[in-house]
Amino acid sequence: MASSHPVLLRTVARAAARLSPPPQIIQAARQLSTGASTLSSHATASNTPPPPPPESPKGKKPLTPSQKAFLSSALRVNQAGELAATLIYTAQTPPVVRREPHLKPLMKHMYDQEADHLRVFNHLIAKHRVRPTALYPLWSVMATGLGWSTAIMGKEAAMACTEAVETEIGGHYNAQIRKLLEMVTEWEAEGYEVGEEFRDLINTLRRIRDEELEHLDHAVEHDAQKAEPHWLLTGVIRAGCRGAIWVSERV
Amino acid sequence: MASAAVTCSAGAARRMLLLPPRPTVTLLRPSVPVTRSLSTTANHSSVCRHSHTQQQSIRSRHIRPESQRTPASQLQTRAYHSHDHPAPPRPFTEAETTLLSAALQHVPEHGFGPEALAHGARDVGLLDISAAVLPDGPFSLIRYHLYAQRTGLAAKKDDLFQGTEAIMTVSEKVEALTWARLRGNEVIIGKWQEALAIMAMPSQAPTAAKELGCLADEIYYLAGDLSVDPSWYTKRASLSAIYAATELFMTTDRSPGFQETRAFLRRRLDEASSLGGAVRSVSQWLSFTGSAAVNVLRSKGVRI
Repeated sequence: MASSHPVLLRTVARAAARLSPPPQIIQAARQLSTGASTLSSHATASNTPPPPPPESPKGKKPLTPSQKAFLSSALRVNQAGELAATLIYTAQTPPVVRREPHLKPLMKHMYDQEADHLRVFNHLIAKHRVRPTALYPLWSVMATGLGWSTAIMGKEAAMACTEAVETEIGGHYNAQIRKLLEMVTEWEAEGYEVGEEFRDLINTLRRIRDEELEHLDHAVEHDAQKAEPHWLLTGVIRAGCRGAIWVSERV
Repeated sequence: MASAAVTCSAGAARRMLLLPPRPTVTLLRPSVPVTRSLSTTANHSSVCRHSHTQQQSIRSRHIRPESQRTPASQLQTRAYHSHDHPAPPRPFTEAETTLLSAALQHVPEHGFGPEALAHGARDVGLLDISAAVLPDGPFSLIRYHLYAQRTGLAAKKDDLFQGTEAIMTVSEKVEALTWARLRGNEVIIGKWQEALAIMAMPSQAPTAAKELGCLADEIYYLAGDLSVDPSWYTKRASLSAIYAATELFMTTDRSPGFQETRAFLRRRLDEASSLGGAVRSVSQWLSFTGSAAVNVLRSKGVRI
Protein backbone atom coordinates (compact mmCIF):
# COMPACT_ATOMS: atom_id res chain seq x y z
CA MET A 1 0.00 0.00 0.00
CA ALA A 2 2.71 2.38 1.07
CA SER A 3 4.96 1.53 -1.82
CA SER A 4 2.16 2.13 -4.29
CA HIS A 5 1.80 5.79 -3.26
CA PRO A 6 5.31 7.19 -3.03
CA VAL A 7 4.18 10.62 -4.20
CA LEU A 8 1.53 10.89 -1.52
CA LEU A 9 3.99 9.75 1.13
CA ARG A 10 6.59 12.28 0.08
CA THR A 11 4.04 15.08 0.19
CA VAL A 12 2.98 14.10 3.70
CA ALA A 13 6.58 13.87 4.85
CA ARG A 14 7.40 17.26 3.37
CA ALA A 15 4.40 18.84 5.10
CA ALA A 16 5.37 17.24 8.41
CA ALA A 17 8.94 18.47 8.06
CA ARG A 18 7.68 21.98 7.42
CA LEU A 19 5.48 21.86 10.52
CA SER A 20 8.00 20.45 13.00
CA PRO A 21 11.07 22.61 13.71
CA PRO A 22 14.48 20.92 13.29
CA PRO A 23 15.99 19.51 16.48
CA GLN A 24 17.93 21.93 18.63
CA ILE A 25 21.24 20.17 18.11
CA ILE A 26 21.10 20.61 14.36
CA GLN A 27 20.25 24.28 14.78
CA ALA A 28 23.22 24.74 17.07
CA ALA A 29 25.51 22.80 14.77
CA ARG A 30 24.47 25.03 11.89
CA GLN A 31 24.94 28.17 13.91
CA LEU A 32 28.37 27.17 15.14
CA SER A 33 29.78 25.20 12.22
CA THR A 34 33.46 25.66 11.40
CA GLY A 35 33.38 24.84 7.75
CA ALA A 36 35.63 26.22 5.06
CA SER A 37 32.74 28.53 4.20
CA THR A 38 32.96 30.39 7.50
CA LEU A 39 33.94 33.62 5.83
CA SER A 40 30.94 33.62 3.52
CA SER A 41 28.53 32.37 6.17
CA HIS A 42 29.89 35.07 8.45
CA ALA A 43 28.81 37.73 6.00
CA THR A 44 25.32 36.31 5.57
CA ALA A 45 24.92 35.71 9.29
CA SER A 46 25.52 39.37 10.03
CA ASN A 47 22.53 40.35 7.89
CA THR A 48 20.06 38.04 9.62
CA PRO A 49 20.99 37.49 13.27
CA PRO A 50 20.06 33.99 14.47
CA PRO A 51 17.10 33.84 16.86
CA PRO A 52 18.12 33.64 20.54
CA PRO A 53 18.32 30.02 21.75
CA PRO A 54 15.28 28.88 23.70
CA GLU A 55 15.59 29.11 27.49
CA SER A 56 16.38 25.71 28.88
CA PRO A 57 14.78 24.71 32.18
CA LYS A 58 18.00 22.98 33.21
CA GLY A 59 20.02 26.18 33.12
CA LYS A 60 23.75 26.09 32.55
CA LYS A 61 25.93 23.18 33.49
CA PRO A 62 28.81 23.80 35.93
CA LEU A 63 32.18 23.50 34.24
CA THR A 64 34.16 20.39 35.08
CA PRO A 65 37.74 20.77 36.36
CA SER A 66 39.11 19.49 33.05
CA GLN A 67 37.02 21.97 31.07
CA LYS A 68 38.25 24.75 33.33
CA ALA A 69 41.82 23.60 32.87
CA PHE A 70 41.36 23.56 29.11
CA LEU A 71 39.84 27.04 29.07
CA SER A 72 42.52 28.58 31.25
CA SER A 73 45.36 27.04 29.28
CA ALA A 74 43.66 28.08 26.02
CA LEU A 75 43.31 31.71 27.10
CA ARG A 76 46.85 31.75 28.49
CA VAL A 77 48.44 30.39 25.32
CA ASN A 78 46.37 32.72 23.14
CA GLN A 79 47.45 35.76 25.10
CA ALA A 80 51.09 34.67 24.90
CA GLY A 81 50.71 34.05 21.17
CA GLU A 82 49.19 37.44 20.44
CA LEU A 83 51.82 39.14 22.58
CA ALA A 84 54.48 37.41 20.49
CA ALA A 85 52.70 38.34 17.26
CA THR A 86 52.56 42.05 18.10
CA LEU A 87 56.24 42.00 19.02
CA ILE A 88 57.19 40.14 15.82
CA TYR A 89 55.45 42.77 13.68
CA THR A 90 56.88 45.61 15.79
CA ALA A 91 60.40 44.28 15.26
CA GLN A 92 59.87 43.47 11.56
CA THR A 93 58.31 46.74 10.49
CA PRO A 94 61.33 49.14 10.47
CA PRO A 95 63.78 46.94 8.49
CA VAL A 96 61.07 45.72 6.07
CA VAL A 97 59.61 49.17 5.43
CA ARG A 98 63.08 50.60 4.94
CA ARG A 99 63.66 48.27 1.99
CA GLU A 100 60.11 48.10 0.68
CA PRO A 101 58.29 51.33 1.60
CA HIS A 102 55.14 50.19 -0.22
CA LEU A 103 54.63 47.48 2.44
CA LYS A 104 54.08 50.06 5.18
CA PRO A 105 50.23 49.98 5.06
CA LEU A 106 50.21 46.17 5.03
CA MET A 107 52.55 45.90 8.04
CA LYS A 108 50.52 48.50 9.90
CA HIS A 109 47.27 46.71 9.08
CA MET A 110 48.60 43.37 10.33
CA TYR A 111 50.08 44.98 13.45
CA ASP A 112 46.84 46.76 14.28
CA GLN A 113 44.87 43.55 14.03
CA GLU A 114 47.34 41.72 16.27
CA ALA A 115 47.26 44.55 18.80
CA ASP A 116 43.47 44.26 18.87
CA HIS A 117 43.70 40.49 19.42
CA LEU A 118 46.12 41.05 22.29
CA ARG A 119 43.73 43.55 23.83
CA VAL A 120 40.89 41.02 23.55
CA PHE A 121 42.85 38.27 25.28
CA ASN A 122 44.24 40.59 27.97
CA HIS A 123 40.66 41.49 28.77
CA LEU A 124 39.52 37.85 28.77
CA ILE A 125 42.39 36.75 31.00
CA ALA A 126 41.64 39.43 33.58
CA LYS A 127 37.89 38.80 33.38
CA HIS A 128 38.12 35.05 33.84
CA ARG A 129 40.89 35.23 36.44
CA VAL A 130 43.30 33.12 34.43
CA ARG A 131 46.97 33.20 35.38
CA PRO A 132 49.00 34.81 32.58
CA THR A 133 52.03 32.94 31.27
CA ALA A 134 54.99 32.98 33.63
CA LEU A 135 57.42 33.10 30.71
CA TYR A 136 56.20 36.50 29.53
CA PRO A 137 59.73 38.05 29.43
CA LEU A 138 61.11 35.02 27.58
CA TRP A 139 58.40 35.16 24.90
CA SER A 140 58.96 38.91 24.53
CA VAL A 141 62.68 38.49 23.91
CA MET A 142 62.24 35.50 21.59
CA ALA A 143 59.48 37.12 19.53
CA THR A 144 61.41 40.35 19.11
CA GLY A 145 64.51 38.37 18.13
CA LEU A 146 62.58 36.28 15.61
CA GLY A 147 60.89 39.29 14.03
CA TRP A 148 64.06 41.33 13.83
CA SER A 149 66.32 38.55 12.50
CA THR A 150 63.89 37.49 9.76
CA ALA A 151 63.38 41.12 8.74
CA ILE A 152 67.16 41.58 8.46
CA MET A 153 67.28 38.53 6.18
CA GLY A 154 64.95 40.31 3.78
CA LYS A 155 61.33 40.84 2.92
CA GLU A 156 60.87 37.26 1.70
CA ALA A 157 62.19 35.79 4.94
CA ALA A 158 60.00 38.13 6.97
CA MET A 159 56.96 37.01 4.98
CA ALA A 160 58.01 33.35 5.31
CA CYS A 161 58.12 33.91 9.08
CA THR A 162 54.57 35.29 8.99
CA GLU A 163 53.50 32.36 6.81
CA ALA A 164 54.96 29.78 9.21
CA VAL A 165 53.63 31.45 12.36
CA GLU A 166 50.13 32.03 11.01
CA THR A 167 49.89 28.47 9.66
CA GLU A 168 50.56 27.10 13.13
CA ILE A 169 48.31 29.65 14.82
CA GLY A 170 45.43 29.01 12.42
CA GLY A 171 45.56 25.28 13.13
CA HIS A 172 45.87 25.97 16.83
CA TYR A 173 42.79 28.23 16.91
CA ASN A 174 40.86 25.67 14.87
CA ALA A 175 41.66 22.95 17.40
CA GLN A 176 40.43 25.21 20.21
CA ILE A 177 37.22 26.08 18.39
CA ARG A 178 36.59 22.41 17.67
CA LYS A 179 37.01 21.55 21.35
CA LEU A 180 34.69 24.38 22.40
CA LEU A 181 32.07 23.27 19.88
CA GLU A 182 32.29 19.75 21.27
CA MET A 183 31.55 21.14 24.74
CA VAL A 184 28.65 23.21 23.46
CA THR A 185 27.16 20.34 21.45
CA GLU A 186 27.39 18.10 24.47
CA TRP A 187 25.52 20.62 26.62
CA GLU A 188 22.85 21.04 23.96
CA ALA A 189 22.44 17.28 23.71
CA GLU A 190 22.02 17.01 27.47
CA GLY A 191 19.45 19.79 27.41
CA TYR A 192 21.55 22.45 29.13
CA GLU A 193 21.61 26.08 28.18
CA VAL A 194 24.62 27.58 26.42
CA GLY A 195 25.35 31.06 27.69
CA GLU A 196 26.46 34.20 25.91
CA GLU A 197 29.91 33.78 27.42
CA PHE A 198 30.60 30.70 25.33
CA ARG A 199 28.92 31.90 22.15
CA ASP A 200 30.92 35.11 22.36
CA LEU A 201 34.13 33.24 23.03
CA ILE A 202 33.61 30.96 20.02
CA ASN A 203 32.72 33.89 17.77
CA THR A 204 35.75 35.86 18.96
CA LEU A 205 38.05 32.93 18.32
CA ARG A 206 36.54 32.46 14.85
CA ARG A 207 37.02 36.09 13.95
CA ILE A 208 40.61 36.06 15.19
CA ARG A 209 41.38 32.81 13.36
CA ASP A 210 40.02 34.28 10.12
CA GLU A 211 42.17 37.38 10.55
CA GLU A 212 45.25 35.27 11.22
CA LEU A 213 44.60 33.24 8.08
CA GLU A 214 44.17 36.50 6.18
CA HIS A 215 47.72 37.42 7.29
CA LEU A 216 48.85 34.06 5.95
CA ASP A 217 47.33 34.92 2.56
CA HIS A 218 49.02 38.33 2.57
CA ALA A 219 52.37 36.71 3.36
CA VAL A 220 52.05 34.20 0.51
CA GLU A 221 50.98 36.98 -1.89
CA HIS A 222 54.12 38.92 -0.96
CA ASP A 223 56.65 36.27 -1.99
CA ALA A 224 56.90 34.28 1.24
CA GLN A 225 57.57 31.17 -0.88
CA LYS A 226 60.57 32.82 -2.53
CA ALA A 227 62.56 32.91 0.71
CA GLU A 228 65.76 30.87 0.58
CA PRO A 229 65.76 28.21 1.95
CA HIS A 230 62.01 28.31 2.44
CA TRP A 231 61.61 24.76 3.80
CA LEU A 232 64.26 25.27 6.45
CA LEU A 233 63.02 28.67 7.58
CA THR A 234 59.36 27.70 7.84
CA GLY A 235 60.23 24.30 9.31
CA VAL A 236 62.31 25.79 12.11
CA ILE A 237 59.81 28.55 12.89
CA ARG A 238 56.86 26.17 12.88
CA ALA A 239 58.64 23.75 15.21
CA GLY A 240 59.48 26.68 17.48
CA CYS A 241 55.85 27.78 17.48
CA ARG A 242 54.61 24.34 18.40
CA GLY A 243 57.14 24.16 21.23
CA ALA A 244 56.15 27.58 22.51
CA ILE A 245 52.45 26.63 22.40
CA TRP A 246 53.17 23.43 24.29
CA VAL A 247 55.09 25.29 26.98
CA SER A 248 52.64 28.20 27.36
CA GLU A 249 49.73 25.83 27.79
CA ARG A 250 51.47 24.56 30.90
CA VAL A 251 53.52 27.39 32.38
CA MET B 1 23.28 -3.67 67.18
CA ALA B 2 26.78 -4.67 68.26
CA SER B 3 27.51 -6.13 64.85
CA ALA B 4 26.75 -2.74 63.34
CA ALA B 5 29.57 -1.16 65.31
CA VAL B 6 32.53 -0.47 63.11
CA THR B 7 36.01 0.68 63.84
CA CYS B 8 37.22 4.22 63.54
CA SER B 9 40.73 5.61 63.37
CA ALA B 10 42.95 5.61 66.40
CA GLY B 11 43.31 9.39 66.14
CA ALA B 12 39.58 9.84 66.41
CA ALA B 13 39.49 7.56 69.42
CA ARG B 14 42.20 9.58 71.12
CA ARG B 15 40.27 12.71 70.41
CA MET B 16 37.35 11.08 72.12
CA LEU B 17 39.43 10.65 75.27
CA LEU B 18 39.83 14.38 75.62
CA LEU B 19 36.13 14.78 76.07
CA PRO B 20 33.86 14.20 79.04
CA PRO B 21 32.60 10.63 79.36
CA ARG B 22 29.83 9.82 76.94
CA PRO B 23 27.55 6.83 76.50
CA THR B 24 28.87 4.13 74.18
CA VAL B 25 27.78 4.87 70.67
CA THR B 26 27.88 3.13 67.36
CA LEU B 27 30.78 4.61 65.44
CA LEU B 28 30.76 5.06 61.75
CA ARG B 29 33.20 4.90 58.91
CA PRO B 30 33.66 8.22 57.18
CA SER B 31 32.23 6.73 54.01
CA VAL B 32 28.84 6.04 55.57
CA PRO B 33 26.21 8.78 55.24
CA VAL B 34 25.80 10.63 58.51
CA THR B 35 22.08 9.86 58.54
CA ARG B 36 22.68 6.28 59.49
CA SER B 37 24.75 7.13 62.50
CA LEU B 38 22.18 9.59 63.68
CA SER B 39 19.25 7.28 63.27
CA THR B 40 20.96 4.43 65.07
CA THR B 41 22.53 6.43 67.85
CA ALA B 42 20.06 9.14 68.65
CA ASN B 43 18.26 6.86 71.09
CA HIS B 44 21.45 6.05 72.98
CA SER B 45 22.69 9.55 73.58
CA SER B 46 20.51 10.98 76.26
CA VAL B 47 22.87 13.83 77.11
CA CYS B 48 22.73 15.45 73.71
CA ARG B 49 21.77 19.08 74.10
CA HIS B 50 20.26 19.45 70.68
CA SER B 51 16.58 19.86 69.88
CA HIS B 52 14.70 17.38 67.79
CA THR B 53 14.12 19.78 64.91
CA GLN B 54 17.82 20.51 64.54
CA GLN B 55 18.47 16.82 64.36
CA GLN B 56 15.85 16.45 61.66
CA SER B 57 17.52 19.06 59.53
CA ILE B 58 20.89 17.38 59.85
CA ARG B 59 19.46 13.96 59.14
CA SER B 60 18.90 14.56 55.47
CA ARG B 61 22.45 15.75 54.84
CA HIS B 62 25.07 13.35 53.69
CA ILE B 63 28.76 13.60 54.10
CA ARG B 64 30.46 12.81 50.83
CA PRO B 65 32.40 9.55 50.77
CA GLU B 66 36.17 9.99 50.69
CA SER B 67 36.37 8.60 47.16
CA GLN B 68 34.11 11.33 45.77
CA ARG B 69 35.82 14.12 47.60
CA THR B 70 37.55 16.63 45.39
CA PRO B 71 41.13 16.89 46.55
CA ALA B 72 41.94 20.14 48.27
CA SER B 73 44.81 20.83 45.91
CA GLN B 74 42.48 20.67 42.91
CA LEU B 75 39.94 23.00 44.44
CA GLN B 76 42.42 25.63 45.24
CA THR B 77 44.14 25.92 41.90
CA ARG B 78 43.07 29.03 40.11
CA ALA B 79 41.35 28.18 36.87
CA TYR B 80 38.95 29.79 34.42
CA HIS B 81 36.35 31.68 36.43
CA SER B 82 33.04 31.64 34.59
CA HIS B 83 30.61 34.53 35.10
CA ASP B 84 27.92 32.61 33.31
CA HIS B 85 27.98 29.07 34.60
CA PRO B 86 27.12 28.02 38.13
CA ALA B 87 30.01 27.87 40.57
CA PRO B 88 31.66 24.50 41.16
CA PRO B 89 30.79 22.65 44.39
CA ARG B 90 32.22 24.22 47.51
CA PRO B 91 35.19 22.46 49.10
CA PHE B 92 33.12 21.76 52.21
CA THR B 93 29.87 19.80 52.21
CA GLU B 94 26.80 21.19 53.86
CA ALA B 95 27.22 18.93 56.89
CA GLU B 96 30.89 19.88 57.22
CA THR B 97 29.98 23.57 56.94
CA THR B 98 27.37 23.20 59.69
CA LEU B 99 29.82 21.43 61.97
CA LEU B 100 32.79 23.69 61.26
CA SER B 101 30.95 26.99 61.52
CA ALA B 102 29.51 25.89 64.86
CA ALA B 103 32.95 24.78 66.01
CA LEU B 104 34.47 28.15 65.07
CA GLN B 105 32.30 29.78 67.74
CA HIS B 106 34.22 27.78 70.34
CA VAL B 107 37.68 28.56 69.01
CA PRO B 108 38.25 31.74 71.09
CA GLU B 109 37.81 29.59 74.20
CA HIS B 110 39.16 26.19 73.19
CA GLY B 111 41.53 26.91 70.33
CA PHE B 112 41.79 25.21 66.95
CA GLY B 113 41.57 21.70 68.27
CA PRO B 114 39.38 18.69 68.91
CA GLU B 115 37.61 20.36 71.86
CA ALA B 116 36.22 23.14 69.71
CA LEU B 117 35.13 20.58 67.12
CA ALA B 118 33.41 18.46 69.75
CA HIS B 119 31.62 21.46 71.25
CA GLY B 120 30.54 22.58 67.81
CA ALA B 121 29.27 19.11 66.98
CA ARG B 122 27.18 19.06 70.14
CA ASP B 123 25.78 22.52 69.39
CA VAL B 124 24.32 21.35 66.10
CA GLY B 125 23.17 18.02 67.43
CA LEU B 126 25.89 15.79 66.12
CA LEU B 127 27.98 13.32 68.06
CA ASP B 128 31.38 14.37 69.35
CA ILE B 129 32.94 11.81 67.06
CA SER B 130 31.47 13.51 63.96
CA ALA B 131 34.71 15.43 63.61
CA ALA B 132 36.30 12.11 62.57
CA VAL B 133 34.78 12.52 59.11
CA LEU B 134 36.83 15.65 58.51
CA PRO B 135 39.76 14.76 56.29
CA ASP B 136 42.42 16.76 58.18
CA GLY B 137 41.01 16.84 61.69
CA PRO B 138 41.62 20.16 63.46
CA PHE B 139 43.38 21.54 60.38
CA SER B 140 40.00 21.39 58.63
CA LEU B 141 38.82 23.95 61.14
CA ILE B 142 41.68 26.30 60.24
CA ARG B 143 41.12 25.68 56.56
CA TYR B 144 37.44 26.43 56.95
CA HIS B 145 38.22 29.67 58.75
CA LEU B 146 40.60 30.71 55.95
CA TYR B 147 38.11 29.70 53.27
CA ALA B 148 35.13 31.40 54.92
CA GLN B 149 37.05 34.62 55.50
CA ARG B 150 38.40 34.67 51.96
CA THR B 151 35.06 34.06 50.27
CA GLY B 152 33.39 36.47 52.68
CA LEU B 153 35.49 39.36 51.36
CA ALA B 154 33.36 39.75 48.24
CA ALA B 155 30.31 40.49 50.37
CA LYS B 156 32.23 43.08 52.42
CA LYS B 157 33.42 44.85 49.30
CA ASP B 158 30.42 47.17 48.93
CA ASP B 159 30.55 48.19 52.59
CA LEU B 160 34.25 48.93 52.32
CA PHE B 161 34.13 51.09 49.22
CA GLN B 162 30.70 52.67 49.81
CA GLY B 163 30.29 53.98 46.31
CA THR B 164 33.78 55.46 46.19
CA GLU B 165 35.04 52.53 44.14
CA ALA B 166 35.45 54.64 41.03
CA ILE B 167 37.74 57.21 42.66
CA MET B 168 39.80 54.81 44.81
CA THR B 169 43.07 53.62 43.37
CA VAL B 170 43.81 49.90 43.16
CA SER B 171 46.38 50.15 45.94
CA GLU B 172 43.90 51.90 48.24
CA LYS B 173 41.38 49.17 47.58
CA VAL B 174 44.01 46.50 48.20
CA GLU B 175 44.82 48.07 51.55
CA ALA B 176 41.15 48.30 52.54
CA LEU B 177 40.49 44.69 51.56
CA THR B 178 43.61 43.38 53.29
CA TRP B 179 42.66 45.22 56.43
CA ALA B 180 39.13 43.83 56.25
CA ARG B 181 40.53 40.33 55.94
CA LEU B 182 42.88 40.88 58.92
CA ARG B 183 39.95 42.05 61.00
CA GLY B 184 38.36 38.69 60.29
CA ASN B 185 41.02 37.23 62.60
CA GLU B 186 40.16 39.61 65.45
CA VAL B 187 37.84 37.23 67.30
CA ILE B 188 40.23 34.30 67.26
CA ILE B 189 43.45 36.33 67.47
CA GLY B 190 44.31 34.79 70.85
CA LYS B 191 44.49 31.34 69.28
CA TRP B 192 45.92 32.38 65.90
CA GLN B 193 49.58 31.75 66.78
CA GLU B 194 48.63 28.18 67.50
CA ALA B 195 46.89 27.98 64.14
CA LEU B 196 49.91 29.49 62.38
CA ALA B 197 52.09 26.81 63.97
CA ILE B 198 49.79 24.08 62.64
CA MET B 199 49.74 25.73 59.21
CA ALA B 200 53.55 25.76 59.14
CA MET B 201 53.76 21.99 59.63
CA PRO B 202 55.26 20.33 56.54
CA SER B 203 52.11 18.29 55.92
CA GLN B 204 49.86 21.36 55.97
CA ALA B 205 52.19 24.06 54.66
CA PRO B 206 51.38 23.48 50.95
CA THR B 207 47.64 23.85 51.54
CA ALA B 208 48.19 26.90 53.74
CA ALA B 209 50.47 28.49 51.14
CA LYS B 210 47.92 27.85 48.38
CA GLU B 211 45.21 29.39 50.50
CA LEU B 212 47.44 32.44 51.04
CA GLY B 213 47.95 32.69 47.28
CA CYS B 214 44.20 32.43 46.71
CA LEU B 215 43.64 35.21 49.22
CA ALA B 216 46.10 37.52 47.46
CA ASP B 217 44.44 36.71 44.13
CA GLU B 218 40.99 37.37 45.57
CA ILE B 219 42.09 40.72 46.99
CA TYR B 220 43.58 41.86 43.69
CA TYR B 221 40.54 40.62 41.80
CA LEU B 222 38.12 42.45 44.09
CA ALA B 223 40.31 45.55 43.91
CA GLY B 224 39.77 45.49 40.15
CA ASP B 225 43.39 44.99 39.16
CA LEU B 226 43.60 44.14 35.45
CA SER B 227 47.34 43.58 34.98
CA VAL B 228 48.13 40.47 32.94
CA ASP B 229 51.90 40.85 32.61
CA PRO B 230 54.67 39.66 34.96
CA SER B 231 53.46 42.17 37.56
CA TRP B 232 50.55 39.74 38.04
CA TYR B 233 53.04 37.47 39.82
CA THR B 234 55.03 40.11 41.69
CA LYS B 235 51.90 41.80 43.02
CA ARG B 236 50.45 38.57 44.37
CA ALA B 237 53.76 37.41 45.80
CA SER B 238 54.43 40.70 47.59
CA LEU B 239 50.91 40.92 48.96
CA SER B 240 51.15 37.33 50.23
CA ALA B 241 54.40 38.12 52.04
CA ILE B 242 53.01 41.35 53.49
CA TYR B 243 49.80 39.66 54.59
CA ALA B 244 51.65 36.81 56.31
CA ALA B 245 53.95 39.23 58.13
CA THR B 246 51.10 41.49 59.22
CA GLU B 247 49.08 38.54 60.41
CA LEU B 248 51.95 37.43 62.60
CA PHE B 249 52.45 40.99 63.87
CA MET B 250 48.75 41.17 64.76
CA THR B 251 48.98 38.16 67.10
CA THR B 252 51.20 40.16 69.47
CA ASP B 253 49.52 43.53 68.99
CA ARG B 254 47.84 44.80 72.16
CA SER B 255 47.04 48.33 70.94
CA PRO B 256 43.36 49.37 70.94
CA GLY B 257 41.63 48.52 67.70
CA PHE B 258 44.88 47.00 66.39
CA GLN B 259 46.10 50.45 65.35
CA GLU B 260 49.72 49.26 65.41
CA THR B 261 48.87 46.48 62.99
CA ARG B 262 47.13 48.91 60.68
CA ALA B 263 50.19 51.17 60.67
CA PHE B 264 52.45 48.16 60.10
CA LEU B 265 50.35 47.08 57.12
CA ARG B 266 50.43 50.57 55.64
CA ARG B 267 54.22 50.83 55.96
CA ARG B 268 54.74 47.45 54.29
CA LEU B 269 52.39 48.27 51.42
CA ASP B 270 54.05 51.66 50.91
CA GLU B 271 57.46 50.00 50.80
CA ALA B 272 56.24 47.48 48.24
CA SER B 273 54.74 50.15 46.04
CA SER B 274 57.86 52.35 46.16
CA LEU B 275 60.01 49.33 45.28
CA GLY B 276 57.64 48.44 42.44
CA GLY B 277 57.77 52.04 41.23
CA ALA B 278 61.57 52.01 41.24
CA VAL B 279 61.70 48.77 39.25
CA ARG B 280 59.19 50.18 36.76
CA SER B 281 61.18 53.40 36.35
CA VAL B 282 64.43 51.54 35.76
CA SER B 283 62.93 49.19 33.20
CA GLN B 284 61.23 52.07 31.43
CA TRP B 285 64.52 53.95 31.27
CA LEU B 286 66.32 50.87 29.95
CA SER B 287 63.78 50.21 27.21
CA PHE B 288 63.72 53.88 26.19
CA THR B 289 67.51 54.05 26.04
CA GLY B 290 67.65 50.82 24.07
CA SER B 291 65.13 51.89 21.45
CA ALA B 292 66.74 55.35 21.23
CA ALA B 293 70.15 53.74 20.59
CA VAL B 294 68.69 51.54 17.84
CA ASN B 295 66.99 54.53 16.23
CA VAL B 296 70.20 56.61 16.34
CA LEU B 297 72.09 53.78 14.60
CA ARG B 298 69.30 53.46 12.00
CA SER B 299 69.45 57.19 11.32
CA LYS B 300 73.22 56.85 10.72
CA GLY B 301 72.48 54.35 7.97
CA VAL B 302 73.32 51.15 9.84
CA ARG B 303 71.10 48.47 8.33
CA ILE B 304 69.49 47.14 11.46
